[in-house]
Amino acid sequence: MNVIVPKTAAELNYGLSLPHRKMEDWRWTDLRQLIDRPYPPRQTVIASTKDVGRLLKSSPFAKVAGTRMVFVNGHYSAEHSQLKNEHLASRVKIDEPVINMNAAFATDGARLKISDTADTPVELLFISTNADPRTIATRNVIEIEKGASATLIETHLGEGAYLSNSVTEISVGEGARLDRVKAELEATDAIHLSHAEFTLSKNTVLNDFTLTSGAKTNRQNGTVEFKGQGTDAKISGAFMLGGKQHADTRLMIDHQVPRCTSRELFKCVMDDHARGIFQGKVVVQRGAQKTDGKQSSHALLLSETAEFDAKPELEIFADDVICGHGATSGDLNHDHLFYLMSRGISASDAKSLLIAAFVGEAFDVIVHEGIKEALVKFSNKWLSEHRREA
Amino acid sequence: MLEIKNLHVKLADEDRVIINGLNLKVEAGEVHAIMGPNGSGKSTLSYVLSGREGYEVTEGSVTYKGEDLLAMEPDVRAAKGVFLAFQYPIEIPGVATMQFLKVALNSQKKARGEKELSTPDFMRLVKERAARLNISPDMLKRPVNVGFSGGEKKRAEILQMAVLEPALCVLDETDSGLDIDAMRVVADGVNSLRSPDRAMIVITHYQRLLDYIIPDQVHVLSHGRIVKSGDKSLALELESRGYAEFAEEAA
Repeated sequence: MNVIVPKTAAELNYGLSLPHRKMEDWRWTDLRQLIDRPYPPRQTVIASTKDVGRLLKSSPFAKVAGTRMVFVNGHYSAEHSQLKNEHLASRVKIDEPVINMNAAFATDGARLKISDTADTPVELLFISTNADPRTIATRNVIEIEKGASATLIETHLGEGAYLSNSVTEISVGEGARLDRVKAELEATDAIHLSHAEFTLSKNTVLNDFTLTSGAKTNRQNGTVEFKGQGTDAKISGAFMLGGKQHADTRLMIDHQVPRCTSRELFKCVMDDHARGIFQGKVVVQRGAQKTDGKQSSHALLLSETAEFDAKPELEIFADDVICGHGATSGDLNHDHLFYLMSRGISASDAKSLLIAAFVGEAFDVIVHEGIKEALVKFSNKWLSEHRREA
Repeated sequence: MLEIKNLHVKLADEDRVIINGLNLKVEAGEVHAIMGPNGSGKSTLSYVLSGREGYEVTEGSVTYKGEDLLAMEPDVRAAKGVFLAFQYPIEIPGVATMQFLKVALNSQKKARGEKELSTPDFMRLVKERAARLNISPDMLKRPVNVGFSGGEKKRAEILQMAVLEPALCVLDETDSGLDIDAMRVVADGVNSLRSPDRAMIVITHYQRLLDYIIPDQVHVLSHGRIVKSGDKSLALELESRGYAEFAEEAA
């Protein structure tokens, strides 16, 4: 029996169906409900230089990045960028709600090919200025060529109420290396939907970290496909959420070939009424022997009303593999707190120290010291804004 | 410096009474040893003095430098000079030992209205104190107590004591799990901190630590109260005769 569900205003405006909680992957993030009004796509908004300047400066990586590609309201801004945007063709053709929306509405995006060693970090900065609610969609295609290596930062910032949809395709060529840091620091009224698609060739190294701290609603998908042997991927993330923020991360680690290693580590701090979700799936395909895959997610709930849901999944079709997953959730360890306080550290300082240590573990995947420092600074700032007395 | 009067303590969520009418007076410059069988309340006493949660004082008082110690939060006690060397030091992943020491020292200085130490001055202080305790710079870079051996943990506690320079040191079974060489290092560290304006309470099950840290007074704790006090010879007496007579006496 088919039940006809009337389309929501947003769906009518988009001319697309939105995912809802009856779909297993979306059970915690019902976009039919959460996108509660139309966010018209492909709107042209002229940003004032002042607004852009302010947002550019607010990136935690303003001083770290050597070069930048800046996108303002969904369009490449040559004026603010120091890198040329190339032309690379998009290859991802998956039927996935975030990608479908992106395919329909993307206006621009970074096309970046790295052929040798990019020593200084390159920042892709996506900023949205305050205007009427609208959808801003970008599609990025990034290619790290054979033997090349790069450090990429992807920052999302904005002001006002908007929906940002970002799809990024990344291919890492044979023997290449990519360190990538994404910071989702969207405006508190914004919705952020993203999909990152990684294709890894043989003997590559991927270190990926995502900081999730912005937007009222966030859904980030990541897919990592192992296409060549001897590849090592570390995917880490930190949630720092408060208020009524909702963040849902879904990762799919797809071991298609033998002898690859994958590690996922997510450290999630939730305060107030925030809700964090981590859905991590590791697939080991037939023949992908000697796969070593582990994932874990850990949540620290700073209030009685914060919530964390974890859905780890393993799908293994090979018999000679090491795979595992773990998930924990709880509040701060009282013995740790007492020990710190017994040395003269105040309760609130002790808490901040412990929370910083908790999320800091996820920063360890980041090789670049300047980026790591910028993130530590960000997390300390977040903590000072969310601290409360014991 | 410290006066404990008729102290009664029970576990907060159970009816079990642990300290049962304990009296003790410790003056500046003195070293008191508290000995007793397992379960006599030695560790509970150390936790009550440092302010750990889970214990309820039902009667009595603890006065430290003229103030009600029990009314203070653990961090306030520490800033006023109370230090507990833990029997089982806690491992804190992700917090580097050096950072922890610096935050602790400067928090205490701030609370006392003193000038905080600059990073170079602090580094010098720690390096100098650490060297005396055979603590390597590598250990200081590691997270607090994480991956430390039993002996390293105890030495790290004494290092904290040496850096924080408390007025009242409570050492809870600092000798447990130490071989004789490690115990000598720890005892030397403790002895170097003896001073006319510092008091120490050394809690131990065995007499051997007291061969190195010579106490002014020795107290026997049994069933939550002090049943006998004497000079250092009392410790030797206990070593040869055991705790049996005291266990019966109090029962």
